[in-house]
Amino acid sequence: MTGAVFRPHPVLIEIGVSSLHALRGDDGLEVPLTRQHNGRLTGPCKEQVTAALRELLARKTWPFRLRAYCAIAANGVSIRRIGVPPAAADQLDGVLRLQIESQFPLAPDELAWGSRRLNEKGVHSATAHQQVLVVAVKKDVIDEYAKLLGDCGLEPVFTVAALARGLLCSEQSGSCAMLNVGRTQSEWVSFENDVPTGVRVFPWSAEALSASDGAWDAVSSALRGKWSGKIVYLTGAGEAKDNVALQVPRHLGAGIQCRPIQVAAAPGRTAAVLGLKKCIEQIGVQLPPVLKTRTHTEQAKLDWSAPALRKWAIAVAFLLVLVLTLPYAEALLLKPFLARRMTVLKAGLGRLATIDQELGFLQFMKQNQPPYLDALYLMAQSAPPGARLESLTMSRRGEVALRGSMRNSQEVGEFRAKLIKSGFFSEVSVDEQVPTQQQKVNVRMTAQWKPAEARELLSIGPTAEELAKAKNEPKK
Amino acid sequence: MRPLTPQEKRTLRLGAIGVGVYLLLFGGVQLWRMLERRRSDYQTLVTQAQALKADLGLYETKTLVVGKLMKDYHLDPGKLARATVVAQASAAIQEAAMAGGIPITAVRESPTRSSGKELASMQIEAAGPVPAAMGLLARLQTLGYPVLIDSVQLTPQPNPPGMVKLNMTLVVLDFEQWKKKEAAHE
Repeated sequence: MTGAVFRPHPVLIEIGVSSLHALRGDDGLEVPLTRQHNGRLTGPCKEQVTAALRELLARKTWPFRLRAYCAIAANGVSIRRIGVPPAAADQLDGVLRLQIESQFPLAPDELAWGSRRLNEKGVHSATAHQQVLVVAVKKDVIDEYAKLLGDCGLEPVFTVAALARGLLCSEQSGSCAMLNVGRTQSEWVSFENDVPTGVRVFPWSAEALSASDGAWDAVSSALRGKWSGKIVYLTGAGEAKDNVALQVPRHLGAGIQCRPIQVAAAPGRTAAVLGLKKCIEQIGVQLPPVLKTRTHTEQAKLDWSAPALRKWAIAVAFLLVLVLTLPYAEALLLKPFLARRMTVLKAGLGRLATIDQELGFLQFMKQNQPPYLDALYLMAQSAPPGARLESLTMSRRGEVALRGSMRNSQEVGEFRAKLIKSGFFSEVSVDEQVPTQQQKVNVRMTAQWKPAEARELLSIGPTAEELAKAKNEPKK
Repeated sequence: MRPLTPQEKRTLRLGAIGVGVYLLLFGGVQLWRMLERRRSDYQTLVTQAQALKADLGLYETKTLVVGKLMKDYHLDPGKLARATVVAQASAAIQEAAMAGGIPITAVRESPTRSSGKELASMQIEAAGPVPAAMGLLARLQTLGYPVLIDSVQLTPQPNPPGMVKLNMTLVVLDFEQWKKKEAAHE
């Protein structure tokens, strides 16, 4: 049910002899038809129909083909009940082909035909054969309409208008008939227990049937012995409907009851169209046999001339070609650009070597820059008050030699301890310590600072507070 | 000319189709091989480009480090001329010493040392106040020349008090040696 909400309204069409009626939702149209001597539609008429249908469809556009249920006039339509040997559903078409071959004047390939099994409902055969209703018409008729509707973007399904009208009958049990009186002709279809038994076309309009008894005589003689029902449903006839309804029992038999079926007069609304509508909208109402072309050769063959199929085939072929050629096209198209870019980049590779050289050189400088100032700062911080420096020598390899004097050996020890504690020196040794008579100790020390990697984590230098104090100190 | 019979027409048609299919297949295979070769070359080129891109990615970091060090030392190795760098460095050192208030008393230059990375060494003697001596030691690294202080000797001077005698041995590095080293690695 959810899907039905989003499904667009199908187009319901009746193609008569002199007019085409179409209904889609509440929108309808009627287009007069002009035909050639052979019954085919004329070129201008086709254009007119196409334009009108496109206008009807253009009111709402859909990205796919709309289904069109199309009821055609009964001209050339043949309805027969055929008994066939029991066959599976998938084999029924093959069996029916043989029967049609033998019973119809045209070969099955030249017909558009549809069928319905009758055994399940209505008439039950006493024999082993199953009864099948076959409805057929010349293939050319359907092909012409199918092409016309296909050009309008529709996907048509064909049936016979007389049978579609039969769906409006309130009671089809027993024997009844339906007479549709049109502008140029009348169609008669008879039913036995809901199964159509025959269809006739009479070349008289409502005016002719109202005015002339001769027309009724011809109808009466044509039906004599072929139909024995008591109810005739009447559709069409326009304003002459009441008159025609009176004529039916008078000419076809006193016991016959004529029941007119009222159809609202509006564009696109005919008895056949409303029958199709009932069939689509109401569950349990079966569509009359659908007329299809089923030739042996064409059944399995795709119709490449169909615009939609051709469009899809072209799209598929294009995508296939694209998939196959894109890798090669990429190589052919992009290789020159890539090669040019690579040449430029390779030309710049020389610069990379220079970067390496400069980096190596600068890193060497950084690693071999001796921390003389750091060492001097630490020694100045560690030296006791009154200490006197006589000579200080430092080398790039980290060797420090110091000569000086301090007040006592305890200060020498403290000085040494502070230097070691700073973490800057890996070893500090007092090479010589000589007390003098002036209450002093002459000292000679050597030290070795740690390698650069080990010194990296040390925080050496004046703190922010010390810097601020130094700035505020008055210059001497 | 005698009109062809349907049988002959059929034979001719089949023959033409056969020849057409053969030519199509033959030409198609040739074309396919050529295209496949081009595609293979292109794939190789793409692989090389990706490898090059990865290499260049590494050099982005190196370039940043080089830029920072050049800024720290005020030094662009590419602009150093081997023939003049010692003279320029010597002049810059003397100028910096004079500007810092520690006049240089002696400069002795000697050619390269054994390590091979050094272009020349200089012995510089100067005397002045302790802050000026410390300032000179700090400024030597940012003069814009590849100068390393090999050794320093500080000797306090009795007169006037607060003066110090500075004896330094400097080495001037030879950037050409790094170029030769890199070339040898390649």
